[in-house]
Amino acid sequence: MRNRTHLSRLALPVAGLLSAALALTSCGTPSNDPTDKPTEQILVVGTTSDPDTLFPWKATQFFAVNVAQNLYGTLTEFDADLNVVPGLAESWETSADGLTVTFKLRPGAKFADGTDCDSTDVKHSLEAIQNEATAAVARSSLATVTKIEAPDASTVVLTLSVPDAGLPSNLAVINMAILSSEDTEETLNTKPNGTGAFVLTSRQPNQSLTLARNEHYWGAKPPLDGIEFRIIPDETSIVSAMQSGNINLTTFDDPLVAQSAEAAGLTVRKTPQLSYHVLQLNATRGALVDENVRLAMQCAIDRQEVLDTAAQGEGEVTGPITSPAYRSDPKARPCPTRDLAKAAQYLAQSGLSEVTVNAIVSQGEYATSVNEAENLKAQLAEAHINLELEVLESGAYVQRWIDADFESAVALNGGRPDPDGMYGRYFPSTGNLNKVAGYSSPTLDQLFAQGKSESDPAERAKIYTQISNELEDHAVWIWLFTSYSYTVTTAGVTGYTPMPNASAQYLRSTSIA
Amino acid sequence: MSVVEATPAATSSNGRSGRAAFRMLLRSPAGLVGLILVGLIALLCLASALHLLPYDPLLQEASQRMRPPSSEHWFGTDRFGRDVFARVAAGVANSARIALVAVAFSTLAGTIGGIVSGYLRGASDAAISGVTNVLFAFPPLLLALTLASVFARTWFTIAVAIAVVYTPIFIRVTRGPVLTLREIDFVRSARATGQSPAAIMARHILPNIASIIIVQVTLSLSWAVLTEASLSFLGLGTPPPAPSLGSMVYEARTLVALAPWTMIFPGLIMVVLVVGLNLLGDGVRDALDPQSRGKR
Amino acid sequence: MIRRIIRHRLTRRLATALGTLLGVAILVFIMLRAIPGDQVTAQFGLEAAGLTEAQRAQLEAYYGLDRPLVVQFFSWLGNLFSGNLGFSSRAQMSVAALTAQSLPVTVELAVLTIVLSLLIGVPLGMLSASKPNSLRDGLGQTVGLAGLSIPAFLLGSSLLAWLAGSGFNPNGLGYASLTQQPWLNLQQMLLPAVVLAFGIAAPIMRTTRTAVLEVRSLDFIRTARAKGVPVRRLQWRHVLGNALVPITTMTGLQFGYLLGGAIVVEQIFSLPGIGRQVLIGIQQKEYAVVQSTVLIIATGFVLVNLATDALYRLIDPRVRVS
Repeated sequence: MRNRTHLSRLALPVAGLLSAALALTSCGTPSNDPTDKPTEQILVVGTTSDPDTLFPWKATQFFAVNVAQNLYGTLTEFDADLNVVPGLAESWETSADGLTVTFKLRPGAKFADGTDCDSTDVKHSLEAIQNEATAAVARSSLATVTKIEAPDASTVVLTLSVPDAGLPSNLAVINMAILSSEDTEETLNTKPNGTGAFVLTSRQPNQSLTLARNEHYWGAKPPLDGIEFRIIPDETSIVSAMQSGNINLTTFDDPLVAQSAEAAGLTVRKTPQLSYHVLQLNATRGALVDENVRLAMQCAIDRQEVLDTAAQGEGEVTGPITSPAYRSDPKARPCPTRDLAKAAQYLAQSGLSEVTVNAIVSQGEYATSVNEAENLKAQLAEAHINLELEVLESGAYVQRWIDADFESAVALNGGRPDPDGMYGRYFPSTGNLNKVAGYSSPTLDQLFAQGKSESDPAERAKIYTQISNELEDHAVWIWLFTSYSYTVTTAGVTGYTPMPNASAQYLRSTSIA
Repeated sequence: MSVVEATPAATSSNGRSGRAAFRMLLRSPAGLVGLILVGLIALLCLASALHLLPYDPLLQEASQRMRPPSSEHWFGTDRFGRDVFARVAAGVANSARIALVAVAFSTLAGTIGGIVSGYLRGASDAAISGVTNVLFAFPPLLLALTLASVFARTWFTIAVAIAVVYTPIFIRVTRGPVLTLREIDFVRSARATGQSPAAIMARHILPNIASIIIVQVTLSLSWAVLTEASLSFLGLGTPPPAPSLGSMVYEARTLVALAPWTMIFPGLIMVVLVVGLNLLGDGVRDALDPQSRGKR
Repeated sequence: MIRRIIRHRLTRRLATALGTLLGVAILVFIMLRAIPGDQVTAQFGLEAAGLTEAQRAQLEAYYGLDRPLVVQFFSWLGNLFSGNLGFSSRAQMSVAALTAQSLPVTVELAVLTIVLSLLIGVPLGMLSASKPNSLRDGLGQTVGLAGLSIPAFLLGSSLLAWLAGSGFNPNGLGYASLTQQPWLNLQQMLLPAVVLAFGIAAPIMRTTRTAVLEVRSLDFIRTARAKGVPVRRLQWRHVLGNALVPITTMTGLQFGYLLGGAIVVEQIFSLPGIGRQVLIGIQQKEYAVVQSTVLIIATGFVLVNLATDALYRLIDPRVRVS
C-alpha cells in the first residue's frame, strides 16, 4: 500500500515528461524523413541483426544473404515458385552428352560502378569460387565443373566431368554471385559492387544499412528509390515501430510475434519454408548403428505432436525433400503415424530393452529447438528410449555439429529448391557433409549419381522419390516438419513476394504508397 | 540461509549474542516483513523441489496453450501449455539455489582472501588486492556473461560465474576491518603469546568481523538473484528448459500483448523475493549493528 | 626528485591502475579463447562443416587465428600502445572507429542516468532524513527499496510493453545521435535513462539519508543549530555540504558501473552502446573487438575511480589535510 502511494508520487513527473515527449514525437515524425523530398520512396525494413559480412561468397547468415541478394546478381535466378529462370545469363544450353553447358550472357549487364559484366568476370568469379584460397562456401557446388572458358564477351562454356542437372539451380544461389574481375574481397567488403537491383550507400554498424536503386540494373527499374535496413534487436520493438509507421516491412519466424503484429493491425503473410526441423541421427555412433533402433525411434515419434507442441501447430509435417517440385510424401515411411507397438517390435529386434541416445540441442539458434527436444524426449520415453538432452549455447552447438560429435542432433537445416543441392552434400559418401550426415550406402550413392545426371524432370522426380524412401525406410534421420516465415507489412507496401528460400530479392519490385 | 548459520554466535565486540540479534531482527518491522516474504518464497521453493505442486514445470501440453489464470492454472499457462505457477515455483527455486551457492562460494573465498590479505599484509596482500582490483575493473555483468559462455552451462557453472563476480566485494568488505583489528590489543597479545597466524585469524579475527560478513551475505543474496535473472534475460543464464525467472520474463516479452500473465507473475515473484531479501538484509544489519539502526 | 615522484601517491595509484588494466587484458584474452567456437564457426555457422581443410586454414589465417596465443596476445597489446585497437571484419571498421560511435551513446546514457538519479535520490534521501522513522521516511525508504528490487530488464520490458500501443516509440526510428538530431536523441534516451535511474537513485537515496543523519549528529552542526542558524539553511549548506563526500563516492561508483552495466537496457531499447558492442563481439567471436572494448570500459572505470578519489580529496578537508 505504502509502496503504491509513493510510487505514484515519483511516477507523476516521469509521466509528465513522457507525455510531453509523446506529444512532441507525434508532431515531429514527418520531419524525420532523412531526405526531405516527399516524393522519394524509401522502404524501411526492420531486422534484428547486423549482416556479418557483405561479401556474397562468404555470406551464410540469414540477413547477410538477404542484403547480398539485393546487391549482387547470379547467372541464373529463382522466381517466386523456385523455378530456375535467366539472370545474368539470358539463356543456356546443355550438350547432348550433358558434359558441356554454354551460357549466353545478357547484353548490357553492368556492375553498379558502370563497368560491363562480361564473360571475363563470370570466368573469373567461378574460378575464384573453385579456388580453395578464396574460402567460398559454395565451392562444392562447382565440383563437377572441370573447365571454364570464355570464347567471346557474351559466352561462357562450362565443361563438366559428369552431367549435372542440378547445376543451373546451384548457380542461382547468391553465394555464386558474379563479381567484377577488377574487384577484390577487400574492396567489396566496404564498397560492394554488384549487378543487383540496389547499391549500398551507407552503413552504420549495429544501427542501419542504406541502399539506393542501382541505376545500371539490367532488369525492370525498381520502384523504390532506396531501402533502409534498420537494426533493432528486439522483435517487440519492431512491432511497435511498425505500428507507429516507422518501419514498413519485416520478417519474423515466431508465429506468436506474427500473431501479435496481426493483433496490432498489421498485414501478415505466411510463407512455407524449405528449411526443415529434423532429429539428425548419427548412424555411426552408439546404439544408432543398429537400424532397428533408429526405426524404433521413428515409430515412437508423432511428428504432428512435436509441431503442435513446440511450434503451436504452425507448419507442416514433412519428409526429407521440402522443395515443392520434388516434395516427399510425409506418409511414405515405415511408420506413417506413431506406432508404439511397432516401435517396441523394432527395439526387440535390436535385442535391447532400453536405449539411451544423446542429443545436442542448440539454445538461441532458433526459438523452438529446446521445446522440440523436450517433446521428442517425452514421446521417446514411452518407447523406452531415453533421449539425453545436451542443451548447448549456439557456438558450442555449431562446433559439435560440424565435428559430427553427437549421437543425435535436434536441428533446423536449410533447404534448397533442387534436391541434389539440398542432400547431394549430405548423403553420398563423397559429400562434403557426409560426416555430419552420419550415414551412407551404395544404394544412395548410386541414386544420387543417377539423379544428378538425369535431365528429364519427370525421371528426376522419380529418382528423388526413391532417395526419399530410402532415407525414410532406413530411418537415416527423423524428419519432423517445416515451418513458415511471416512477412509483416504496413499499409501501402505492395509488390513484395516472400520466397520459400527466405530470399528478399523481391524488394526490387516492391513499392510503397 | 545455511550461510548465516555457518558462522554461529558471533561474540562480537558489539557484545550481542546471535539469539539476541535474532530477537532484534523479529522486532524490527523491516526484518520481520523480510523474513515473512523470504519464508513464503522458501515454502514455494520447497513445494516445487518436493514435487508437491499439481503440475510439472516442464510438461508441455499443446491443448492447454496460453490459458489465462484460472482455478486450474493459477498463473495461467505459457505458449507451450506449461503451467506458469509450476514454472515460477521451479524458477524461483532455481534462482535461490544459484544465489545461495554463489554467495556461499564468494563468502568463503572472499572472507578468507580478505582476512589473509588484511592480516598478513605483504606479498599475499599485494597479490589478493591485485586480483580484486582486476575483478572490480572488469564490468561485472560482462564478466559473468563471459564466464558463463566458457563452460558447459549448468546451474552450477552459473553460480560459480556469479561467485567470481562477488568475491572481490567480500574481500574488500573484510580486509578493511581486519587491518584495524590486527593492531588492537587482544590481537597483539595473542601474537605475542606465539599463537600461529592461522589460529589468530580463525579465533580472534573472524568472530569479530562475523557481523559484517552476515550483513554482506544477506545483501549479496538479493544481488545474486538479480544477476542470475539478468544473465538469463541475455540468454546466458540457466539453460532451458529448466525455468528461471529471468528467462521466463525474456520469453514472455514477445507475447506480452497476447498473454500478459506469462510476464507479470515471474516478474512479481522475482520482485517479492528481492524485496524480501533486501528487507531481511536491512533487518539483520540493524540487529547486528546498533549504531546503524535508523540510519541505513 | 625522481625518488619523490616514485614515492608520490599519484604515481603509485597510476602504477596500480596500469597493473589492474594489464590484469583485465590477460583475463579477457584467456576467457575469450576458452569459449567454444571461433570466428570461422561464428560466421559460417553450420556451413563451416562443408569447408575443406585448405579453406579452413585460409580463413584462420585471415582472422589471425593461426598464430600462437602468446604471439596473438602480445601483438594485440603492442598494437594497443600504438593506438591500434584492432579491426572488426564484421563491421569492416576499426575497433577505435566502432567505439567512437558506441562509447558516446553509453556515456550520454550514463550521464543522464546519473543526473536523473541525483535529482531523485538526493532530495528523497534528505526528505527521509529530515524526520527519521516518520511516515515520509517510510515512504522514501519504500521507493528506495523498490528501486533496489526491481531489475532494469523487468522495468524496461514492462515499460516498452505498456507503451507499445501508444505510438510513442522514438527508439523505432533508428538511433539518432545527439549532435545530429538532439531532440530525437533525448527522447530515445529518456526511457532507458529513467529505467536505469530508478535503480541507481535507490543507493544514492540511501547513502544521502545515512550521510545526512550522520553529519547531523556531529558536534559542529549541533553547535550551529544552537547558535540559531535557520534549519533550512543548515540543511542545505552544512549538512548536504558535508554529506557530499559519501554521495560523490557512491555516484562515481555507479557511473563506473554504468559503463559496462547498461548492456541490458541498451539491448531492450535498441541503443547501439558499448555494452551491445561487447555482446555482439562475444556472439561473433570477434576477439579484438571484445578485448579492446572491455579494456576501454575497464579504463573508464579506473579513471572514474581516480577522479572520484581526487574529487573526494577536494571536497573533504579532512582527507586533504592527511
